[in-house]
Amino acid sequence: MEHIDKTRLRRNDVIFIAALLAVVAIAGACLYFLRGEGNTVTVTVDGEVYATYSLAVDRVEDIHTGKDGLNRLVIKDGKAWVETASCPDGICAAHKPIHREGESIVCLPNKVVITVSTADSGNQPDIVV
Amino acid sequence: MKRRILCAALALCLLCAGLSACGKPEEKLEKFSAYSFDYFDTATTIVGYAENQEAFDALANQAIARLGEYHRLYNIYLRYEGMENLCTVNELVDGAHRTVTVDRRIIDLLLYAREMHDKTGGMVNVAMGSVLKLWHDYRTIGIDDMQNASLPPMDKLKEAAQHVDITKMVIDEEKSTVTLTDPQMRLDVGAIAKGYATEQVAKWLEAQGVRGWLLNVGGNVRAVGKKPDDTPWTVGLENPEDPTADYLAYLSLTKEALVTSGSYQRFYIVDGKSYHHIIHPDTLMPAEGYLSVSVICPDSGMGDALSTALFCMSIEDGKALVNSLKDVAVSWVTDDGKQTVSDGWKEYVKK
Ligand SMILES: [Zn+2]
Repeated sequence: MEHIDKTRLRRNDVIFIAALLAVVAIAGACLYFLRGEGNTVTVTVDGEVYATYSLAVDRVEDIHTGKDGLNRLVIKDGKAWVETASCPDGICAAHKPIHREGESIVCLPNKVVITVSTADSGNQPDIVV
Repeated sequence: MKRRILCAALALCLLCAGLSACGKPEEKLEKFSAYSFDYFDTATTIVGYAENQEAFDALANQAIARLGEYHRLYNIYLRYEGMENLCTVNELVDGAHRTVTVDRRIIDLLLYAREMHDKTGGMVNVAMGSVLKLWHDYRTIGIDDMQNASLPPMDKLKEAAQHVDITKMVIDEEKSTVTLTDPQMRLDVGAIAKGYATEQVAKWLEAQGVRGWLLNVGGNVRAVGKKPDDTPWTVGLENPEDPTADYLAYLSLTKEALVTSGSYQRFYIVDGKSYHHIIHPDTLMPAEGYLSVSVICPDSGMGDALSTALFCMSIEDGKALVNSLKDVAVSWVTDDGKQTVSDGWKEYVKK
């Protein structure tokens, strides 16, 4: 009897340890992948932080600058882009959607910079040129 | 039961260890950034580590102010009250250029420009102002009014190209004067001034003991020391053929400059065809063959000039030029989207 009990305990222990290790591994993996993604966009106007938005939440935001400057920021499916803008050159609105750490859209006339960033940049680039 | 408690404790330890290994390392210094939109027709970004916002701002504002001084001195189209700059050097008074006493920073730029002209066999020439002004004027009109966009006529370009002899730019270092002895000649420092100014601001920051900063003046990137955790800066180099594709490379910079000249950077459209701003000194037309040329080297001014010069040369000639210089690495992306690199380039590519 004693012999059998010990064996069963050991087997339970193994299952328990395996379960705990799995939890640790999953938690680690979540953390690792979460920080690897560029998960927020920071909008600055004339050098001042205007707002920070999560890339995980779809939304449309009008960024008002100066007297009647406007850049319409769209966040959808984890990507951000400028839909329309009041600037004469329209370079910002022509810019492809951004989602990777360090990528940015600049509107020179309206002095708007939209940059993808994370709390911890890990192996992602500091800037993109 | 005892054993289970032990196991739980062990697992907790593992979790903690895992968390701290993944988490942000303890640092006294924080990362800040500053932007400016006023200089060299581009956006300037300064990223740097400092103890607090005030400490960062104090230095960043001075750096930006310095960039502004260079912008005014090197401006060829605007004059500023109470100062001589390259615009006033270009001016004609009674049909001739004056001998203008200028700031030392103008003399230094022009001497450097002359050096780069000689090193590149004339592929970078600040005396090409008359030719480049024609392109500038037609481009400005063309961007403004796309329906009526047109190319500068070749006979006008050829006439302007008669007046691009850099030896007619006479510099007196002692007196700090510049004279353009050909009245038809104009200076255009567009291929070098931004990079040169970036380099001077970076050097000033270095002299202040600053480390762990990164300047980006419209694509003229210059690293000022490693980050506080002793790692290099990582720069993602966009693929010029398809900006949504993977980066061409992740580059590691600690104190180097990275400058890219691209046909996509400044251009206008005439009859559905794109005409970019890098004008070949021989054809007087936009240089052909590349989507982008990127240069990594110790000096941002040199990187700026070289990326323009290499854009106007074959890869073969370019490689010969690069190999004759110290610590210069180059990536060429040809029109078909293919990348060719010089020997030193791989050293900077992050593994
Ligand atoms: Zn814009």
